[in-house]
Amino acid sequence: MNESNTKHILSIMVDNEPGVLARVVGLFSGRGYNIESLSVSEVDSDKFLSRVTIVTSGTKIIIDQIKAQLNKLIPVHNLIDISELNSFIGKELILIKLNVKKKSVSKIYEFIKKHGAEILFDNNGELIIEFSGTPSEISKMTTKLNKYNIIELTRSGLVSMALGTEYIKK
Amino acid sequence: MKKLTGARIVIEALIQENVEVIFGYPGGAVLPIYDELFKQKKIRHILVRHEQGAVHAAEGYARSTGKVGVVLVTSGPGATNTVTGLTDAMMDSIPVVCISGQVPTHMIGNDAFQEADIVGITRPCTKHNYLVKDVSKLGNCIHSAFYIAKNGRPGPVLVDIPKDIQTFETKYLGKKQMKSFSFYRPKIKPEISQIKKFVEYLTSAKKPIFYVGGGVINSGSKASILLKKLLKASQFPCTQTLMGLGAFPTSDKQSIGMLGMHGTYEANLAMHQSDLMICVGARFDDRITGKVSGFSPKSKKVHMDIDPSSFNKSVNADLLIQGDLTKILEMTLKIISEMKITFSKKKISNWWKQIEKWRSRDCLKYKKSSTIIKPQYALQRLDFLTKHLNPFITTEVGQHQMWAAQFLTFNKPKHWMTSGGLGTMGYGLPAAMGVQIAHPNELVIDVAGEASILMNIQEMSTIKQYRLPVKVFILNNHYMGMVRQWQELLHGNRLSESYMDSLPDFVKLAESFGATGLRVVKPSEVDDLIKEMIKIKGPVICDVVVDPKENCFPMIPSGSTHDKMLLGPNDKVEGEISEEGMVLV
Repeated sequence: MNESNTKHILSIMVDNEPGVLARVVGLFSGRGYNIESLSVSEVDSDKFLSRVTIVTSGTKIIIDQIKAQLNKLIPVHNLIDISELNSFIGKELILIKLNVKKKSVSKIYEFIKKHGAEILFDNNGELIIEFSGTPSEISKMTTKLNKYNIIELTRSGLVSMALGTEYIKK
Repeated sequence: MKKLTGARIVIEALIQENVEVIFGYPGGAVLPIYDELFKQKKIRHILVRHEQGAVHAAEGYARSTGKVGVVLVTSGPGATNTVTGLTDAMMDSIPVVCISGQVPTHMIGNDAFQEADIVGITRPCTKHNYLVKDVSKLGNCIHSAFYIAKNGRPGPVLVDIPKDIQTFETKYLGKKQMKSFSFYRPKIKPEISQIKKFVEYLTSAKKPIFYVGGGVINSGSKASILLKKLLKASQFPCTQTLMGLGAFPTSDKQSIGMLGMHGTYEANLAMHQSDLMICVGARFDDRITGKVSGFSPKSKKVHMDIDPSSFNKSVNADLLIQGDLTKILEMTLKIISEMKITFSKKKISNWWKQIEKWRSRDCLKYKKSSTIIKPQYALQRLDFLTKHLNPFITTEVGQHQMWAAQFLTFNKPKHWMTSGGLGTMGYGLPAAMGVQIAHPNELVIDVAGEASILMNIQEMSTIKQYRLPVKVFILNNHYMGMVRQWQELLHGNRLSESYMDSLPDFVKLAESFGATGLRVVKPSEVDDLIKEMIKIKGPVICDVVVDPKENCFPMIPSGSTHDKMLLGPNDKVEGEISEEGMVLV
């Protein structure tokens, strides 16, 4: 039996109805599973469908059980384990608010440009930076910006998609 | 098309679902529905005395008929009182639809009088639930609830209806117009390749065993017939779980009794030493497996279930067959006959010899007494004197439940109603009520303990009101017997809070509810008591005063494996029970 924990990205298509997120999250807390990150939003407004991406980790038995239990929820239409597919991309979005001394502003602009981030707001050195990337790129970005005065930051959960022809059915 | 009120739609939808009986209790937030109930004659309402009783009664009704049991309760406390019942139905996969009233939509979230977030509360203990906030969706919700409750692995579904929704009007299109379930379609038909592989396993086994669970009963009467055919063709031995009793006649020679914590010696050892285990609609529950790492180490395991979340949950199987058991068994028999397979009795003759040797240990034997009634004796006599009537048996939870499972005969499915997964004390009396409503002319017996029976004793009032001839057979040992047994065996005989002091006089209690009360204290009186109980047309409470010290054997102490059974009072738990075992329930 393989007892080692592995990280999995589950993409779940659900009915966008009240309480559906509580069902998904309640299943994790009630059965003692982990949620490392979660992101959810409506993706089809005609069919009222939302797509949930959950990053979780566990042994094979636990991951199989999580998937089986999720599939049992009535509003769950479909589920794929993206991390089990051949190749996929996973991105997060981060917003960072910085308070920078005037003399550093141009340095920041240069840095931002170099890394493909964007400045959304600038008021006398009070900056809001937007950046999207893989979780490790985002971590690197925050480490690099740490030497400046970070007022606050917020990160979305991971959203992920398989490459090629594999996709989640509605 | 005429517009109907929400309350009216509820009744119309129930009628379309062929509901004949509902169990309920009125209150402020369901008054419009009760008003509509008053105006019609197709649905009979049984007024319980506590909402938990309503759910257990609906469970008893559902389990003895195969139909969906229906419950109607008010908001707040009415709804929260159903939680134990719903959890019970969830654990034992019983189809129940519970309709609850709710405060009007504009009051929701306001901490209104008798408001409770019952959809939030019951989310983990129902298969699905609905809060209906739009009257135009009400009909659909109710029909969906029935569809979900009975399809796939059955379970309870709750529909919460705010009071204003019950009074709003809309067009009701009926069941046929219901939005179809394009996505909730449980897999019914198994893969033929799996069945072929299964048949291969069957033909090569030398020490096979069928391990049969409640899924067979849930799949319908046909599944039991097919299972019997397969067992007769193969001549393999069969053990049944607590939930599976009756799926195959327990009086048949091929039946080697119940397995698990209080299962028979032969069943548990056969499980332990088998080379092929065929799990038919059971779920490798911890009461069955004991210590998982030592569970049936040498066997190939085949697991058949309609619910794939049961697969590889605690025990890994070698062959998984997902589908409805009726279909699985049907296809298996078809392939066996198509391939003209005959089973060789010789191949398994040594296995049967071994099993007979185990069987000859007579693990259920107990020390007989002429002065004090042994609970086992009382049940043996009950079985002997009622068997010909094919009684419906319900139980409460504890020692008496295990003894009933061990000593009564179950030759037909749907005749045995017990709280298996949740272990709900207080289940048996209301469940018996539900069974009796469904089968008014049959003998229905609740085998009870004096502690459990007090947990829902108020339902005697319901029994009186509807003149239900339910028989309550209390094995009265003045203790919470199973708690006392564990304290004796595992906690140095410190009987902390397990003595039942200040018990009522059950004879007078019966009489106060218009029932007959009978009490016996001597073994010689037991037969007459049972004969009289059967003869009496109305409800009866029998207070059978039994040996307070008797323990339930065999027993596999928690954390142990099947080959480490305690067979009687002289067997001691080997050494100290491990810490790991101590924390198990």
